[in-house]
Amino acid sequence: MAQNEPGPAARTVGLSKAYGAGDTAVLALDRVDVEIDSGRFTAIMGPSGSGKSTLMHCLAGLDQASAGEVWIGDTELTRLGDKQLTRLRRDRIGFVFQAFNLLPTLTAEENITLPGDIAGRRTDAEWLKQVIETLGLGDRLKHRPHELSGGQQQRVAVARALAARPQLIFADEPTGNLDSRSGSEVLGFLRRSVDELGQTVVMVTHDPNAASFADLVLFLADGRIVDRLASPTADAVLERMRRFDRRPSTPAAD
Amino acid sequence: MLKATLRSFLAHKGRLALSLLAVVLSVAFVAGTLMFTDTIGSTFDRLFRSTSADVSVTAHNDVVGRNDQNLSGTVPTVPASLVQRVAQVPGVASAYGRVGLAGIVLTDAQNKNIGSIGGAPTLGLNWSQEPNSPVDLTAGHAPTGDGQVLVDADTVRKHHLVLGQQLRVISATGGFPVTLTGMATFNTTNPGATLVFFDTATAQRRLLGQEGLFTAVDAAAAKGVTHEQLRERVAAAVGSAYDVKTAEQTAKDAAQALGTFLSVIKDALLGFAGIAVLVGISLILNTFSMLVAQRTRELGLMRALGASREQVNRSVLVEAVLLGVVGSTVGLLLGVGLALGLIKLIAAGGMVLKGSQLAVRWPTVVSAYAVGIIVTAVSAYLPARRAARVSPMAALREADTPGRGAPLRIRAIGGLALMLVAGAGLGGAAADKNLGQAGLLLGVGVLLSLIGLVVVGPLLARPVIRLVGGWFPRVFGPVGTLSQRNALRNPRRTSATASALMIGLALVASLSVVGSSLAASFDAQIDKTIGADLIVQNTTGLPFPGEVGDTVQVTHGVGLAVRGQASRGVLVAADGTQKKTNVVGTGPGLDKVVRIQMRDGTVDQGIAPGKVLLGSGYADAHGLRVGSPVTIVFQNGRTGTLTVGAIDVTDPNPGGLGDEPVLGSATLRSFLPGALDDVVFVNVAQGADKAQVKSALTTALAKDPQVQVRDQSDYKKLIRGQIDFLLQLVYGLLALAIIIAVLGVVNTLALSVIERTREIGLLRAIGLGRQQLRRMVRLEAVVIALFGAVLGLGLGLVWGLTAQRLLAAKGLQALSVPWSTVIAVVIGAAVVGLLAALGPALRASRLNVLDAIAHE
Repeated sequence: MAQNEPGPAARTVGLSKAYGAGDTAVLALDRVDVEIDSGRFTAIMGPSGSGKSTLMHCLAGLDQASAGEVWIGDTELTRLGDKQLTRLRRDRIGFVFQAFNLLPTLTAEENITLPGDIAGRRTDAEWLKQVIETLGLGDRLKHRPHELSGGQQQRVAVARALAARPQLIFADEPTGNLDSRSGSEVLGFLRRSVDELGQTVVMVTHDPNAASFADLVLFLADGRIVDRLASPTADAVLERMRRFDRRPSTPAAD
Repeated sequence: MLKATLRSFLAHKGRLALSLLAVVLSVAFVAGTLMFTDTIGSTFDRLFRSTSADVSVTAHNDVVGRNDQNLSGTVPTVPASLVQRVAQVPGVASAYGRVGLAGIVLTDAQNKNIGSIGGAPTLGLNWSQEPNSPVDLTAGHAPTGDGQVLVDADTVRKHHLVLGQQLRVISATGGFPVTLTGMATFNTTNPGATLVFFDTATAQRRLLGQEGLFTAVDAAAAKGVTHEQLRERVAAAVGSAYDVKTAEQTAKDAAQALGTFLSVIKDALLGFAGIAVLVGISLILNTFSMLVAQRTRELGLMRALGASREQVNRSVLVEAVLLGVVGSTVGLLLGVGLALGLIKLIAAGGMVLKGSQLAVRWPTVVSAYAVGIIVTAVSAYLPARRAARVSPMAALREADTPGRGAPLRIRAIGGLALMLVAGAGLGGAAADKNLGQAGLLLGVGVLLSLIGLVVVGPLLARPVIRLVGGWFPRVFGPVGTLSQRNALRNPRRTSATASALMIGLALVASLSVVGSSLAASFDAQIDKTIGADLIVQNTTGLPFPGEVGDTVQVTHGVGLAVRGQASRGVLVAADGTQKKTNVVGTGPGLDKVVRIQMRDGTVDQGIAPGKVLLGSGYADAHGLRVGSPVTIVFQNGRTGTLTVGAIDVTDPNPGGLGDEPVLGSATLRSFLPGALDDVVFVNVAQGADKAQVKSALTTALAKDPQVQVRDQSDYKKLIRGQIDFLLQLVYGLLALAIIIAVLGVVNTLALSVIERTREIGLLRAIGLGRQQLRRMVRLEAVVIALFGAVLGLGLGLVWGLTAQRLLAAKGLQALSVPWSTVIAVVIGAAVVGLLAALGPALRASRLNVLDAIAHE
């Protein structure tokens, strides 16, 4: 369903986001126009404070825009109330956060089917099986999160994001807390979900290696899109980063 | 370190607020109770001191104790000549004869009772202006001659009486019309008694039945003579037939009688305060445990920076003591309000106290602070010790390590051991024939089972919550699953929170079992013993003039009327042992209105002239048979020897005919002249309609509003009403414990919401609606509350059952479990949970999603 939709999966028109008011206002996003293509893996990069997380939060309906428009498919988000935004997130968006992705009281399987359960929808069993197989979680389904390794936990989070077949998956530094091997594994799964399952993925990261898994990298600085790079390699990304960023980047999220 | 403690105290003030409220409520209850009872005590103390003559002389009486209710209506009197004898004693400045009689009735012209209701008496007195009279004439003129009365100002005001108004007084000699000629005002606080003053001759004739008698002689001491000196001189002059008391002794005796009553109230109220304190302790313990758990990293950092274990321990304890001091201070102030409220409340019930005379004594203040500070310090001790054990490494570790602490196995063994001992105690209590010993076993069993259940609570959380919340996932979907799992997440915390509710509900359940069994037992007893169609009795149980019985006998439709009298007396056995007992008089036909199981002879043989009907218990104990002589000392001091005419089977149940001797009315009056009726049993004439006779009697007795005509169902309703009233009073007091328990649930939920901020953020991000989130928190609260309710009800039913078995020997033979109350409690608990969740749920649903996800 998601992969067949014509046009971009999401886009923004003149999106601005300011924090605070008056003289102390900080402009996190400055009239950003961006399109996220369906069925592709897009990475958003930028140094700390560049606005990359804010962009993702606005795209995902977690944060309110100060000006401009945000579209998911043919829905304009800035006009929606909390109830509609919640429903949109539940039905059309999947999330993978940097850490604390899972509810400790639920098993891996229950965590995976949670968005569907909340919506009162039965998750497509065939699809679920495929997702679980793809992510290699078959023998971990009855485990509670604290019985899983960090990499396994993130894989469960990816499975949850995929299970409901959302239009878009947002991943916020999904490998930030993982060692490089587990990180590559998780990124590989995101890649496969795009290639094999036809998903659309948007990932915020500061790690050039992670960005190299994407089809397209958008570079943000001072609240604007400053560059884009298709079919990136880690070296190419690092090269671009150096070009416009003189400040040392910190390993933390914005 | 102290600075850090203070900072931390202030930083957590929001989270401590509910603990503070628990301390405040506990302290307020304790302080309020003490101030309230002290105020009653001091008000009456002032009254007694102001109303007592320097020295007073009354007839000596061994049989009727000072505080026995006057059942027969006959009053110990002294002759008028005694006034002269006392007046002539050297040192007596003046002597007055006093007539003072409780239990008269004052009505308005429409026969509506306008005397005092409730505890305080309606007193009939002779008007004489003694030097230290507690009342002053403030309107009209003193009563002169028959038919004139003075009434106290409080009653005049309450019923809007005007001078010249026609009233009626009913005394032992019958009812008679009077005119209000004046108003007397107390010069101290009148706690609610109605006073009716007559001139001396009228008082003697109308109240005591003949002139030339007084109930006491009051003497005032001359200058330079102490009360004690005067007492000795008067006592020597009048001899041992009279009791002579100083004002101090009189006041002390009166205060003692009141003191027993007061200490019962005080103990009961303090008992409930104790329960509130107990519940408060569990709430504070829980709060501090949670605070310490949340601050593990902070405490670890302090340890890493070089703070010693003692310092960490102390910092938590100091925080607790601060909480205790603040809580006690606020609680003390709230206690004043509570005491004033109680004073208002009992004023409605007829006892008038003045709020301006509120007694705040230093022991009250000390107790308030002691309770507040000790409660918090004790509650915080365990969490403080746990805090001290935090290793410096904790600062470096991830915040939420899953629940640690002593393994549950130790808890299981300890708790089960306690429960076994408690079970043995309760079993023993139910089986023991010795009431005192059984009561002790019951107390121990109740306490141990309570502690045991609190200890094993965390182990029971899983199965019980599966039981009470098992259907949640099916009905509420994932929200139900999450709330149930959240409640099980930390069984210790859930169980501690629920245990507060458990205590209150266990008490409610056990008392309602006892109350409902009591009502059922009385019902059965009434069916078993009362054979009369109708019963005419005073609402207060006091006797009434003979005209009532006369009226009943001539009312149309009355077939048989049996008039009964009650008095006090002493049974003297052949070996000289004495037994104080009621001595009952009855007209013929008693066996037709009361079901009596006879062993030897008939009732008529027992109440024949010169004969007595005795209970088998007493007869067997003293080897008495039909024909044996029995000696009875009557309440007026006269001794009579009667013959056992018949023996009935002693019925130990309340309301049953026990061991008291029953005499024919004429026999009784031959020793105790003037003994009044206190009951008239009525069987309707053949063919007459019971309801019609009842209304005919009510109409005929309109001039005696103090008596009522009741049938058996009225009796059952009356007794049920009294039991229900008591239970409601108890539930009202227990509501305090339940309020504190609710605060505990609020507290736990609020802290849980804070702890789970990130989780809530995640849930919201992946699409959980605000309403669903609120429902999740509410359901968690409901689960916790139901858990507490199930444990509490289970425990309470066991207690109630044991108490019923224990009291079965005392007449509580029917067991009745009030299932409607049980169901109401379960529903109530769910509602309590919902209410408790309101705040935390709202707070959770208002969290900003992004902030919540980023929350540390």
